[in-house]
This record gives sequence, structure tokens and C-alpha cells, in this order.
Amino acid sequence: MIESILRFSIERRWLVLSFILVLLGGGVWSYQHLPIDAVPDITNVQVQVNTEAPGYSPLESEQRITYPVETALAGLPNLAYTRSISRYGLSQVTAVFEEGTDIYFARNLINERLGAIKSTLPISLEPEMGPIATGLGEIFMYTLEALPGATQADGTAYDATALREIQDWIIKPQLALVPGVIEINTIGGYNKQYHVTPSPQLMLTYGVTLGDISEALHNNNSNRGAGYIERNGQQLLVRSPGQLQNLADIENVVISTIDDAPVTIADVAEVAIGKELRTGAATRDGRETVLGTAMMLVGENSREVSRAVAAKLESVRASLPAGIKVDTVYDRTTLVDKAIGTVQKNLIEGALLVVIVLFLLLGNFRAALITAAVIPLAMLATVSGMVQTGVSANLMSLGALDFGLIVDGAVIIVENAIRRLAEAQGRSGNSSGKLALKERLEVVFEATNEVIRPSLFGVIIITVVYIPLFSLTGVEGKMFHPMAATVVMALLSALVLSLTLVPAAVAAFMSGKVREQESPLIVACKSLYKPALILAMKLRWLVLSAALALVLLSGWLATTLGSEFIPNLNEGDIALHAMRIPGTGLEQAVAMQTLLEKRIKEFPQVEKVFAKIGTPEVATDPMPPNVADNFVMLKPRSQWPDPGQTHAEFVTELETAVKLLPGNNYEFTQPIQMRFNELISGVRTDLGIKVFGDDLEQLLESAEAILEVLETIDGAADGKVEQVTGLPMLSIIPERMTLARYGLSVSALQDTVAAAIGGEPAGLIFEGDRRFELVVRLPETLRRDVASLGDLPVPLPNGGYVPLSEVAIIELTPAPNQISRENGKRRVVVTANVRGRDLGSFIADVKARINQDIELPPGYWLDYGGTFKQLESASQRLSIVVPITLAIILGLLIMAFNSIKDAGIIFTGVPLALTGGVIALWLRDMPLSISAGVGFIALSGVAVLNGLVMLAFIRDLWQERGDLYMSIIDGAMIRLRPVLMTALVASLGFVPMALNTGTGAEVQRPLATVVIGGIVSSTLLTLFVLPILYRMAHGRELKQP
Amino acid sequence: MNILKMLGFTLALLSAWNCSASGNAGNNNQEQQAAPPSIKGPSGGVMLEDGETSLELAIFERGVPPEYRAWINYQGQPITPSSQQKPVLEVRLTRLGGVVNSFAFTYKGDADNTGYWLGDAVVGEPHSFYVEVSLKIAGNTHHWAWESYEGRVAIKADIAEQAGISTALAGPGRIQRTLTAYGNLVSGSENLSHIRARFAGQITRVNVNVGDRVKRGQVLAQVESSESLKRYSIFAPIDGVVTQRHANTGELALEQPLFSITNLTKVWAELKIFPQQRAAVKAVQVVSVKAAGSEQTSTIEQIIPMDSGPYVLARAPLTNLDSNNTSPNNSPWYPGQLVEAQIVIEEVDVPLVVDNRALQSFRDWTVVFIQIGENYEIRPLELGRSDKTHVEVLSGLNAGDSYVVENSYLIKADIEKSGASHDH
Repeated sequence: MIESILRFSIERRWLVLSFILVLLGGGVWSYQHLPIDAVPDITNVQVQVNTEAPGYSPLESEQRITYPVETALAGLPNLAYTRSISRYGLSQVTAVFEEGTDIYFARNLINERLGAIKSTLPISLEPEMGPIATGLGEIFMYTLEALPGATQADGTAYDATALREIQDWIIKPQLALVPGVIEINTIGGYNKQYHVTPSPQLMLTYGVTLGDISEALHNNNSNRGAGYIERNGQQLLVRSPGQLQNLADIENVVISTIDDAPVTIADVAEVAIGKELRTGAATRDGRETVLGTAMMLVGENSREVSRAVAAKLESVRASLPAGIKVDTVYDRTTLVDKAIGTVQKNLIEGALLVVIVLFLLLGNFRAALITAAVIPLAMLATVSGMVQTGVSANLMSLGALDFGLIVDGAVIIVENAIRRLAEAQGRSGNSSGKLALKERLEVVFEATNEVIRPSLFGVIIITVVYIPLFSLTGVEGKMFHPMAATVVMALLSALVLSLTLVPAAVAAFMSGKVREQESPLIVACKSLYKPALILAMKLRWLVLSAALALVLLSGWLATTLGSEFIPNLNEGDIALHAMRIPGTGLEQAVAMQTLLEKRIKEFPQVEKVFAKIGTPEVATDPMPPNVADNFVMLKPRSQWPDPGQTHAEFVTELETAVKLLPGNNYEFTQPIQMRFNELISGVRTDLGIKVFGDDLEQLLESAEAILEVLETIDGAADGKVEQVTGLPMLSIIPERMTLARYGLSVSALQDTVAAAIGGEPAGLIFEGDRRFELVVRLPETLRRDVASLGDLPVPLPNGGYVPLSEVAIIELTPAPNQISRENGKRRVVVTANVRGRDLGSFIADVKARINQDIELPPGYWLDYGGTFKQLESASQRLSIVVPITLAIILGLLIMAFNSIKDAGIIFTGVPLALTGGVIALWLRDMPLSISAGVGFIALSGVAVLNGLVMLAFIRDLWQERGDLYMSIIDGAMIRLRPVLMTALVASLGFVPMALNTGTGAEVQRPLATVVIGGIVSSTLLTLFVLPILYRMAHGRELKQP
Repeated sequence: MNILKMLGFTLALLSAWNCSASGNAGNNNQEQQAAPPSIKGPSGGVMLEDGETSLELAIFERGVPPEYRAWINYQGQPITPSSQQKPVLEVRLTRLGGVVNSFAFTYKGDADNTGYWLGDAVVGEPHSFYVEVSLKIAGNTHHWAWESYEGRVAIKADIAEQAGISTALAGPGRIQRTLTAYGNLVSGSENLSHIRARFAGQITRVNVNVGDRVKRGQVLAQVESSESLKRYSIFAPIDGVVTQRHANTGELALEQPLFSITNLTKVWAELKIFPQQRAAVKAVQVVSVKAAGSEQTSTIEQIIPMDSGPYVLARAPLTNLDSNNTSPNNSPWYPGQLVEAQIVIEEVDVPLVVDNRALQSFRDWTVVFIQIGENYEIRPLELGRSDKTHVEVLSGLNAGDSYVVENSYLIKADIEKSGASHDH
């Protein structure tokens, strides 16, 4: 079949060549539709159900909202697990689905379930699903500020409330329309509210209650349509406008009458624009600001969407009031461009190097061009494949592409064709040196056919070695599947090209005289190689034992290298969590944040710094007020005082400086990484022991007991119980007997307290499209005065009042600051890392000790989790997949040679190839990582390919001539050029990657380093050890007969 | 590269060895900054070892005020008073600010080995000090010293200033405890007069009208008695304002009141005192009465029980000054008006007070943070009475101590921050 394809390609060479156009067209179209991002998306399939519950404490929001929602979600098809947190004013249930579940299908199911439980939730609370976005979703952020001296229409300066109004009603509606944007999330400033703040004394004077006031406001604030009437043929619509328009309208609302004299709102209360009880704030460069975040719909092209948002924001600026500045603070385009720039630079430089090498070694410009042409064509085919399979272009997926590997097959074919053509031209004796067309085609066919099998097998084997990568699951899988898929696609398309296009092109274009003489480089190499090979054949035991020693040495070296599971992509910007103690108030946090930002801004390297504190409007990341997500945007390196300073050095410097500020703890990360961590949100330590049960105190007690046991176990480090308590809570506990004596019910008391302190919504005030809440609550001075809260008069049903302290006990108690649940049960996690001990025995030890020492009450149980599970399952899977892969390769080799012996000989190439990689890593002081692992995988493929080509040729020669020794020497000499060429192109193609320091280079560097190092050793192996082994293996065969 | 690593490791080993050697006899360098000994003894205290001598030192606080307990071993034998070797153990604690506590030890318990050496004083909170231990036994003196700090943090002066951390000196002050009560104004019965005609008759003249201000003894009207047909005058019995008039010339004055005069120069605030507050409120307490726009200080004159309602009434007089000498910002008090009152239930001068803003909770304690140089440390307080701005300190702090007032939360946050984490 291969022969017929080859024959077809050579006969119909122009037809085959015209397919280039189709490939070009398809590739260009695909490129325009290729989703491009900086990093692969590692978010799982999840849906957040957020319920805002103003005023609810953690316990209440768990009991009333989280539990019913969680119960409703239980048992959904494809549901992997649910987890939830209940905080002040918020319940968030996250449903995580099995990989591959359609997110819209999942949301549909959830929507249906939520509809069914609506009646069991407290009235006016509405569970909502979070935006359809992933960890890559936060693509664009901007801040609002007023220029100094800018004033509002009424002459006052812009405050945080006014800025928020501009964001909510001018900017947000326009940006939300940008295609690809699913949500504009806002944090910072205050929602504008109309506040009616009655004085308790005046209310007593006029005998009105908070309830009366809000009822009066409710009843005097509506428009009503009343149909229409026809008059003289004309239709008149009837309408009675009664909505409150402004502060004066509100003040004039009548609450009641005393002896016919109306008591108005103005008599008992002040009416003013007020601030909501907010749950989050935003700061920038040490000032409060309003921060908008554009979130991208899942699966969109982040570069395009953030560009569109930026363009839209530009046009929005025209509609803003004078003196308002909107500033882009984070734009994903920058990062993506940088990352793509890195990849492009690597690929182009690599491709150029490959072309130069080809030209130098082949000594034929046309041949070099034909081979090099495979690069762009294979690339276009790969891009088409990526679009079809939904793989996005990013640092990881494009990171492992090496044009050297891609052109290997083509190199072997072209090299052989040139050699044969030159030979044939020499033989024909034609004075012009040209061959007849038919003859030429025949030569090309034979030359291709001669090497196509080994190179086909080689490429297939390289492809097969990538299979173990597909067995990775979870986060690792998401990072490396695209990489493996892209490489496999590139190799396969190169394979198809070298089967069709390359012979066609050679047949079509190598029509002139092919220069026989080899380039001086090859001549020099050959003159060195021959004596060396002969010497090596003599000293074969020495060579073999040296090789063995090398393998053993590098085996030992590998164990001394550090290891790193997932590579860290450098995004160029810094994100840091600033954490304060639980219970820290929002205003206090803002004050501490201001100090922090001023300090960070003092660094000349920092362009801007901004932060989100607490929970934004849409609770995509529900943080308590004591946690702030800081984003530190750096200036281009050229503007740094010391442009040579590395990113890591700067981070260290920054960390030292901010550690001096009182009251903050920090966790340094990067913007996208931070978002991923927030969404994936599993236990990030080696071991996490989850205690499930009902009673929080019992859970905590058990968790602490477990921690105590854990800490005595050898190897345990950083042991910690999840912080669940610590929120000081002011409890107002009703005294039932006294309440009854005054004729009050518990709910009447609670209503009064809730309205007085939290405020009671009393309708909406419309200003055109804009709508603002009208709230009744006590004046700020009274609300904040905890000491005299007991004096608050509670109105009695029959008139009169009683002070709060008379009917309730007021006490300050610590309470849970958050309740975490998993799979429908409360849980507390104990986490620990393992140091200086292997994970497996440690875990076994822990399980045994806990089983023995910890007794849990009935209804409580444990679950072991943590990264050890992933490691465990990954190593289990790999221990099955890797042997299978090796078996497949061996099978392929046996198929190629019909000889187990030869297959075995080629197989020995793999460990020797790996030695070079290990040594290269050690020389560059790099840890073993999955990236490096991918390098080793590619390396094994190349080693096998080289061995294959070499042995196949030697064997053919041997069969032809019958003299083993001479066949080996001659065969090796003839194959020197292709072996050197494939080795050089493959390693030089990776050189730019190995040296690059740009954004994203940290993933590619280990990979490239391994491949370059490994190819050196594998080439030496192919050139010296393989011939020796072959002779030793088959030498005995000869003697037998 | 590996050689370097080896070298680093060796250095680390060496320095670790140096550290462990620092407790050696004769090494009596007080400036050294040593970490607390990490080895725990069988009784949960720290193990101090030097040659053949070992000492376990523990702070015991279960059921008793914190005290030092020590167990001494020499040549593997527990040392008791009956042993040949007579040990002299001394522990010196240097606290922030240079206060030094010294403890001598005496043996407590059975003469055999079930007892322990007991320190002679209570180890005061906070347990944050530089510990120096000296043990003289068998002719040798052993010294150990380490830092054992809790609730202490150092903040650089410039950063503290930026962060707005301000301090004040603790000292004597006045505590004024108040209580809020509401009530209505009533006119006192002595200030209200309903005037009738003494003899029935015809009114011949009326001199005053509603709203007129009258003086005591002023003639309000004249009535011609129906019996004697003599005219007599009706006089105002009190100063005041005419609030009602049921008399016109020519009408008959019978039983009905002709005029009502109210004297508004003095009204009574009747404040409702609920059972919880009753114990605190007494006569002669100063009360500040407020209504829209006016405020006046008075004293509670009586407390009268009510038949109905669960509360008692505390009565305090208020004066409406005559229009001639009214202070300009006072609008008059009227009976029926609802007022809010702050009753000063206690006013005492106490030797030591701190600002309320300085108080923070720390573990189970209420603490303030004292400042000495750039160091801040908790001082658990026992608190007495408090008012809206200050609180009395019974113990835990000395007069003249500099303590953090504003932004004291920052210090608490800094001390506790090691526990602040971001768990999702």
C-alpha cells in the first residue's frame, strides 16, 4: 500500500503538489479560528450556585440556604462532588461534574432542581448560578477614579458611591454587550442607597415604629397604569404616577396622624444618600477605587475578547462625565501576546537553524528547501487539527513542538534521494549528468521506498511514546493532553507529508544535476568517524562497559535531582493574597491595604498595584473581608533600576519589604494561577484528612485530636487544622419570659434588631433607568455604639417601649467565621506535608495510627485526600501504561525487522539516550518535572528512529553483500550523514527554547535541555554502540553454520 | 555544584552543634538570643541538660495560679532535699521594660522522688520573658538562657507612625457610667392651678386671656357674688401662663374652673426606669435630659413606683427660665414632651484608666498592648467599671505605662497573623 501511495505521489506529482494550496487555505482559515491563550485551561467542569443573603450569619446561611441547595443538587447525573461554604451574607455551593460533562447540560439540570426548591428557601432569596466562565475567564480589569477637582452635577466631589453608580449604570451595561463577555463583575465603592434614619427618641415621641415607617414608604411609592379612555376618537392612556422621586418626596411621606396633624418622615428621620453594608472593597495604589472585571465566556478566544473589551471601553470613555478616568489595569492580551511571542520566536529561530543545517549538510539548496517546506506545511496542518479537536494554542500545547523532529522523516527521505540521484547520474555517464524523466522518477521512488519503512516506523514510534501523557488525569492531564495532542498531530501530518509531498517535490524539482560532492563538514566527519568506529569495534568491551557505567551514573544522578510536579508558568505579573486575622472589618482591611499598597508602589519596578478585598458583587470568589487579592503589575524590564534582576529576585525583595508591615500575612502567586487555585480549590498539601460530621465543636475537637496524633508521626510537617472559628459575634439572645411579659414575640424583637442595625429594605427609588434601594435603619452613630445597644427602645404592641437590654441578653461570643461542607456534610480539614520520608509509608502509618488512637463519635467519619491521591493514581496508571507503551514499541520494532534480536538492540538505545538528558539537567541545575519527562519521551522516540534507520540499512547491506563486518562499517559510514542531520536538526531546533528567558520559557526550557543533551548521547550511541551490538549479536549467527 | 551543597550542609550541621553547645557550663553570655529548648520533659516542661545534670522546668497552671515546678537529676538520680547534693536553683525572668522576676525553689512533696521543686512566686501573665536559669549543684554552676516570648511583636517606629499607631500613658482618670432612659415631661402639681370663683356670681370683668403670663396675686377677673352682690377679685395663686379660660364678662361663675394657670418655669421629667436598671438609679443622681434642640442637666429628686407598668418613674425637675434671662439656645420644655435622659449612675475617680479604643481580645483575655521602644506586648487586664470612653484597670497594667490607643487592632493582627490563612 505504501508503495502504491509513493508511486501515485511521484507519478501525479503536480496534482499532489497542488494539494499544498488546499492545505494552505485550510491552515490559514484554521489559524484565524484557533483559540489562543497563554496557558491551558485546567479548570474542572463546575457550576457555582451563589445565594446572597443579606444579614445572614454563617450558621443561618448554612441552615436555610446551603443545606437545601446542596440536597437538591445531590444525585445529579455526572456529578462528581459538591462542596460549599456558608459565610456572612453568602451561601456558595459548587457542584463539580465529571470531566467531559457539557457545562450547559449541567447548568440546565441545576436550574431545574433549583426551581423545585425555590419554595423551601427564605422568601426573597434567589440562588443564582455563577457566570459560565473558567479560571481563564478574568481577562480584563479596569478601575475608575475621579480626577482631582472633578465635581458631580450638584457641585460635590465624586466619592466611592458616585463612582460605583457610574460603573453600574454607564460602563457595565455597555461592556456587557461585547461578544464573548459573560459577566462584568464589580467590586469596590458603595451601592447608592437612599437611607431613612429615624431617631429612636422621635419615634417614641410620635409613637411610630420602624415597621410603620417602612410600611408607609412601601405604600406611597408606586406608579399605576389605569387602562385608557377614548375621547373624540383619540386614545388617552391613564396613569397615576406616585413614585418617590427624590429626597424631598421621601421626607414628605406621611407615616400617621396625631390629632389630625400628619407625622411625616421628616419629623422622625433624616433622609440622605447612604452607603450599603458592603461585603467587598477595591483599592488601587493606596486609594479606594471601583474595580470592574470582564469575564470571558467559556471557550472564547481570550485575546480577541479582551481586545474587544478594550476597544469598547475606549468608546465608553466618551459617554463618561467629565473628570472621570477609567484605567485598564489588567489586560490578558498583553500576556497572550508575550507568550505567543515567545513561542513564535522559538519556532522561527528553530526553523531557520534547521534550514541552515540542512543546507550545510546536504550541500543542496533545493533539497534543503524541500525539506524545510515541510515545516510550515506541517504547522498549518497541525493548526487545522487543533481547531478540529478543540485544542487551544498556548505555551503548553505549542511548547513541545520541535521542527527538528518534524522534519526527521523528510530529512531521511531527501537525503537518500539525493544520494541515489547523484549515484545514478554518475552511473548514467550522460555528459550533462541529467537523467531521463522516467529514470529519475524510478530512482526517486526506489530511494524513497528504501527508507520510508524505517522512517515511518520511527515516526509512529515517536507518536506512540506520547501515549503515557494521555493517561494523566486531573490538572496534569489538562496541562499535558494538549501538548501531547499537538505533537502527535504535527508528527502525523509530517508523516503524511513525507509520504506524499516530499517524494513528489523531489521528483518534480530535483531535475537538475545533483552535486555529488558532500559538504566539507560531512567529509571531515566521515574521515574522523571511520577510524573511530574501527577502533571502537576492537575495544568493544571497553566501549560497552563505558556505556553501561554512564547509564548507571546517570541513573544515580537522576535520584539526586529535585523534582517538581507541575511547572510554574511565569505570567510576568505578581498576585499576592494579603491575609489578616479572621474577624477583621472591611474598613480596617482597607486601611491596612492602603498601607500595603503604598509600600509596594514605592518599588520603582512596580507600575501599578490594585486589590480586591472581600467578595465582589457576583460572588465568583467569595473571600471574607480579611483577605485581599493583590495584583502587582510590573513595568517593562528595561525601566527597572536593574534590568538584570530576575523575577524571582524581585519577588523576594518585595516579600521582605511587605513582611515588615504589621498585621498582614502573604501568599505569593500569579493572577491566572490564583484564579485556578480558587476554582479548583482542593487540598493543596500532601495530605488532607477531612473530618465529617454534624457538630462544629465536635468536628474541631476531633480535628485537633487528629492533628496531635499526626504531629507525632515521623515525617509530618506544617500540620494545621483549618481555621473555622474566630469571628466575634454579637449575639442578641431573646429572653422568652420577659418578652412574654411585655407582650412581645421573639420575631417582633428580631425584626426590630434587624431593621435597626442591618436596615430594612423599603422599596426602590427610580432615577430613569437607574434604581436604588430605599432602606430604613438607625443612624450610623447609634448603630456603631455597641455599648449602648442595650438602651435601644423596642416598641411594644400597645404603645410604649422597653429597652432592649430588658428583653434580651447581649453578649460577644466567638462564632464560626465560615462553615465548609463537602458532599452534603459539614467538614473540617487537617492538612500536613511530608518531609524526608516517602509518601506511601507515611500515609499508611498515619492511617494506622489514627485508626488506633482516634475514636470518633457515631455519625462522624474521616476521608483521606490531598495531593498524595493524585500522585498515587498517576503512578498507578503510569505503571500500567508505560509497560504497555514499551511493549507496543517493541512490537513495532519486531514488525519492522522480523527479528526480536534487532528490536532489542535498538531498544538498548533508549537508556543511553536518557543519560544525556539527565546529565544536561544536572549541568543546568534543573529539577525533574513533567516537562522534562516529555523531553525524555521525545528523546526515546528519536533514539529509536536513529537506530532504526541505521540498522535497517546495515541489514540490507549485509543481506546484499554477506560480509557482516564490512557491511557494518560501510553502512554506518553511509548513514553517518542522515544520523548527524536528524540529530543536529532535532537538537538545534530546540536551542532557542533552551536558552529563552521570555514569558512561558520555564515550561520549555527543561524539555529542550533534555532533548539537546539526550540527542548528543543518543547520536554517539547510534554511531558507536549500535554497530558493536549488532556485530556481537549477529557474529555468533555467522559462526554457527 | 554538589560539593557546594555538601559544604552548606556541613556548615548547617556545625552551626546546629554550636547551638546545642550554648548551654554549656560557664557559658554565661546574657546577650545571647537563643531559641527556647525544644526537648520536652516527662512532665511537659523544657528539658535542660548539661553533662551529668539535667533539669526539667515547667510552668504549672492547672487549677492553681501559674507556678514554676522543677525536677532535678544528677547522675541519673532525682535530687531531693535528702540527697547528698544540695542544689541551688534560681530562675530569673526579664520582662519587656526591664522588670525582673526572680524565683527561688523549695522542695515540695514526699522526700522520695514523687515531689518537685516549687518556685516561690506566681508567674504573672503574660508568660513572655527572657528566661535565665542557674543551677548550682555538686560545686558546679550551670547556666541556661533562652527567649520565651508570647504576644510580643516588634514594629519599626516609622512603620508604626505610617500605620497610625498612637500611644498614651496609662494614668488616673474619671469613670462616668451613664444609663439611657426615656420619659415624658409633666408639670408638677404645685405648678398647675385651676381657679374657680369662691362664690357663685356673674363675671363682670376678665383681665387675662389664654397665653397671658400672670404674676402671683395679679387680678384675673372680677365676679359679682350672687348672694352679696358684692364684687370681688379673683387673684392668680401662682406665677404662670394662662392655659385655659372659661370666663367671659356676663357669664355666670358657678362650679366650673374659670382659669387654668400653668407655671412652666419648672417641669418634671418622669423617666421610665425598667427593672434591669432599677438597682442603679437613685435619687440625687445627675441626669442630662435631651429633647429636640434642648438639653439640660438636673438631678433625680424622687423615684416613685407605678401601679401599672413594670417600670418606676425617676423624677427630675427641669427649669424653663423666664423670657428675660433665657439662655438663647434653649427652647422651652413643655409638658407632654418625650425626652431622652442620660442618668449618671456612677462617677468615680479611679487610679488607673485606659482608653476604650485600646482594648482588644486576645485568647480569653481582654488586653492592651504596651509599647517599649519598638516592641509591643500584650498586657492582660482585669477591668473594672467603664464608660463610653474609658475603662478602669484593676490589675495588669502600671500607671505610666505607654499603651497603644489608636489602631491597636493592627498589633493584635500582627501577633495573631501566623494563624491567618486563606483556605477556600
